[in-house]
Amino acid sequence: MSPFTEDELKQKVRDGYMVEGPEDMTEGYRKALRVQLTVQADTELMSAPSYWMAARYAPSTNTQVSAHAIIQDELAHANIAYRLLEDIGESKEHLVYGRQPHEFKHPYGFDQPLDNWAELVVANGFFDRAGITLLGDVYANTSYAPLKRALVKVDMEETFHLRHGEVWMRRLAAAGGEAKEMVQRAVDWMFPMTIEWFGLPDDRKRHSGQLDYRLKGLTNDQLRQRWLSSAVPLCDELGLEAPAHFDEETGEYVLEYPFPCHYDEKEKRWDFEGGEITWDQVFERWKRRGPMNEIYVESVQRSRGDVSRWLNGRAAA
Amino acid sequence: MKETIYEVFARNNRGDPLAHIGYVDAFDDETAKIHALTTYDEQSWFEMCVVPRAAIIPVDDGEGLFAQLRRASVAREAAR
Repeated sequence: MSPFTEDELKQKVRDGYMVEGPEDMTEGYRKALRVQLTVQADTELMSAPSYWMAARYAPSTNTQVSAHAIIQDELAHANIAYRLLEDIGESKEHLVYGRQPHEFKHPYGFDQPLDNWAELVVANGFFDRAGITLLGDVYANTSYAPLKRALVKVDMEETFHLRHGEVWMRRLAAAGGEAKEMVQRAVDWMFPMTIEWFGLPDDRKRHSGQLDYRLKGLTNDQLRQRWLSSAVPLCDELGLEAPAHFDEETGEYVLEYPFPCHYDEKEKRWDFEGGEITWDQVFERWKRRGPMNEIYVESVQRSRGDVSRWLNGRAAA
Repeated sequence: MKETIYEVFARNNRGDPLAHIGYVDAFDDETAKIHALTTYDEQSWFEMCVVPRAAIIPVDDGEGLFAQLRRASVAREAAR
């Protein structure tokens, strides 16, 4: 039971108060934190099977090791976030093993297949960049002290993932020919995928407690701009086409396509010609989840039941 | 499969303070050591220790994280 009212806690965190444990929280704070941590944990967890299935395209044993090191990190980050959720009264067992695939809260981008090495490294370059953008903001601004402490490690490792992505994007782009074409094809679907990941524009955003409770510091549009401000210069430097540019007058990055728009999952192609769609249509697509959703979730959950049964009645069970 | 919560403490270099860096779930002390090593491998720690959360006894009954977690755990046990 919190000693504060909702308004008191909102004011306190604005003044720099750090929440240490469940007793400091109001119900509103706990709910907002639960949503934030669940998205964070599910995103880290689902990146693992996505990257794991793509790691088989690694071109050498050394690159296999690097790819798997990233997967190991992602699973550790997921585990830490689920552990934090347990400390505020949620069940990790249920969250990881008790939910249906469509109930996970990771972004639609991690429901997509990564079909070659270029796609894996662009995922590191774009998706992990989104991860750093979002979690870096949480680290800098969160009022939840256990999460801030946990993110020291996460930030450090996500930076390595990003570097892995950039080094390989640079190498493939510099080679030209088919190598560069493959990166460009990956950029073509993964750039808008990441843009959409940041969610509703601020003028459409339903009110969420995450800013009020200082669980994060920046709005969706600010975070999207932050991502663009490093992703677009990277693409420019590598001679890759990205559908966005910097507008000198407004001082912001501007998208060069209708946003949001339809996505053809089979062709991995955004329908720029089809024009702008509504966010309700986007939410419907997200809710249906993407083509790899069940496969990825099943790969995480598959052995839990079997091994639990083997261990049943044993000391370790 | 029932696991136990272990807190993880580490110091980066000789002479540094031992700091709480995180937590793992494990079946026993041996697996806790392995989980700590593989989960918190972002640095080559000078020293790392795991401690079952249940063994941590907050010295005062204040507002600290471990005091709050202990009270929550006691309340959960009482509710069973």
